Amino acid sequence: MYCIRLHGRGGQGMKTASRILGSAFFEEGFEVQDAPRYGAERRGAPIFAYVRAARRPILERGIIRRPDLVVVADETLVPVSAAGVVQGVGPYTVLLIHSAEAPAVWKRRLKLGGEVFTLPVAPEDRADVPLIGASCAGAAARLVGEISRDALEEAIRSELVGMRAEVVAENLERALGAYDRLAPHAGCVREGDAEGVGPFESPDWIDLPFEDARISAPDIHAGGTSVQVRTGLWRTMRPLIDLEHCHRCAWVCSTFCPDGAIRVDDAGAPQIDYDHCKGCLVCVAVCPPHAIHAIPEEQAADAAAAENAA
Amino acid sequence: MTETAFRRMNDLPSTHLLGGGTAMCAGCGGLQAIQEVYDVLGKNTVFVNAAGCMTLLSIYPFTPFRGSWLYTAMASAPAGAQGVRDALDILVEKGRIPPEENVQVVVLTGDGAAYGMGVSATSGAIDRNLDFLYICYDNEGYGNTGQQYSEATPHAARTATSSGPRGYPGYKKDLFSIWAAHRPAYVATVIGAEPLDLARKIETAARVRGPRLILALAPCPTGWDFEPRDTIEIGRLAVRTGVWPLKECVDGQVVHTKVRRPRLPVEEYLKRQGRFEHLFAPERKPEILDEIQARVDAYWQRVE
Ligand SMILES: Cc1ncc(C[n+]2csc(CCOP(=O)(O)OP(=O)(O)O)c2C)c(N)n1
Ligand code: SF4
Ligand SMILES: [Mg+2]
Repeated sequence: MYCIRLHGRGGQGMKTASRILGSAFFEEGFEVQDAPRYGAERRGAPIFAYVRAARRPILERGIIRRPDLVVVADETLVPVSAAGVVQGVGPYTVLLIHSAEAPAVWKRRLKLGGEVFTLPVAPEDRADVPLIGASCAGAAARLVGEISRDALEEAIRSELVGMRAEVVAENLERALGAYDRLAPHAGCVREGDAEGVGPFESPDWIDLPFEDARISAPDIHAGGTSVQVRTGLWRTMRPLIDLEHCHRCAWVCSTFCPDGAIRVDDAGAPQIDYDHCKGCLVCVAVCPPHAIHAIPEEQAADAAAAENAA
Repeated sequence: MTETAFRRMNDLPSTHLLGGGTAMCAGCGGLQAIQEVYDVLGKNTVFVNAAGCMTLLSIYPFTPFRGSWLYTAMASAPAGAQGVRDALDILVEKGRIPPEENVQVVVLTGDGAAYGMGVSATSGAIDRNLDFLYICYDNEGYGNTGQQYSEATPHAARTATSSGPRGYPGYKKDLFSIWAAHRPAYVATVIGAEPLDLARKIETAARVRGPRLILALAPCPTGWDFEPRDTIEIGRLAVRTGVWPLKECVDGQVVHTKVRRPRLPVEEYLKRQGRFEHLFAPERKPEILDEIQARVDAYWQRVE
């Protein structure tokens, strides 16, 4: 059975990617399970989806703990522990990641035994472009080696039915392009063993003593605790305020930020709270003198690293 | 409007009361409006929240509110508010809480609850002259479950349940008038993109007693299909094209608080959103566009 886990952010099309892969396997006569993992997922937030495919009935259920292939739409997710990108990755697990960095870098960084493939990030790909999902689906289909080009195309057409012809064409181009590029590596993903009960590890349960309702009810006893949730990790683009050009209007960006992540200091200068800014870029759009611009989050990380080194 | 603390944009708060770290989508227009509302209402509030996107504001053990919050089933937030109000009244009367803990009871729901499932409970609460403030963030669909149509969905919009070439066949329900017909204490429409107008209306709503409605159009990048960064621009266009009239109703008198002349063509608003894309491509649908424009024009003709 093939166990494939796909990681992305809400809006990048990874749920669709999982459905395309699932349908393509189905076209080839496999039994298939494909499902997105739902929770309080929102556009920009980490999400994942998974696909199981086998030539026998699939009795396994639930999330995939030991993936044969991990597909990552957005490299900024790797350090996000909640995204669980490397969870259960074993010596044969293949990693496919959208990144400008070389496979060897990822192999070393994540101490991976299995093969790593990178998909180039096209400059026009802003992180929330759903086309990323299409190239992921195409590349994954090829790495598995069991899916023909026709089956992939058929799956894309059936999953995108109802979309405009240009959108379908663009998705096809991306998916088939990635499929063709990875031809030399067709079939490098190996089918894992059945997920029997043998290797089951019980979760790290914490035993709680029985408490009365005043303590055990899900009451929250303090205000403003949500600040402990670092939604800054959702960001793929980082807004930067150029204080030299800022007019100190004192309210525009701060009032319009949906997340209340911009405060104005006593001198009238706005400051962004990067722990919570989700990178919606409303501030970039509303700033009257255009004093706010955005850079990709990886670039911001590189700049910070360079600054630290200096 | 009488006395106001909000005369200029600079009077708007520049630090914010609602905590960050909530699960709303990047660029959520509903959250953006609630930020502004909460800054004016303050922390002496208890929110009674029916199922919808904003239920995810408080996920145990996290809450962005400084005061209390309570969750109810979709149709029952006004009934929940009645319970909270009664409890507070009794506690104050018996001297079991000091008067400063006698907080404002605020219902917070989406349009699915406000225009549809919750109308009966709302009508009953207004009838009983319940002292509460109802805040509806109207993202024109069942956002939390994937943007199925609601009674607030505008004509011709694509939703998860209206995907044909003509979009949603129905028309947006006039909740403002339904409320106004009950003769409540206060009814107003707002939008986060017009913060001064919003702040003044929240100020008024917080001052009066009895049933009050604040109806906020909430541009939703996810459900309406536009870039998160355009949330404010879409909101401004809703006002400038006349699609979303800003108004209030006191003592049965409806006053428009911002009248745009000349109005922009509605197309300027529609063409920026993927949910109306089918009105422009693959070929233009002039009869639908003309109808939407004619309905907006007819509304303003009655007003002006
Ligand atoms: C009686 C009932 N039916 C269905 C649901 C599932 N449900 C949860 S949130 C939601 C959508 C609510 O829509 P709306 O009130 O407009 O709020 P939004 O999600 O758009 O914020 C639905 C249908 C529910 N919680 N209760
Ligand atoms: S679906 Fe729409 S209303 Fe709901 S959180 Fe996302 S942007 Fe906000
Ligand atoms: Mg809604």
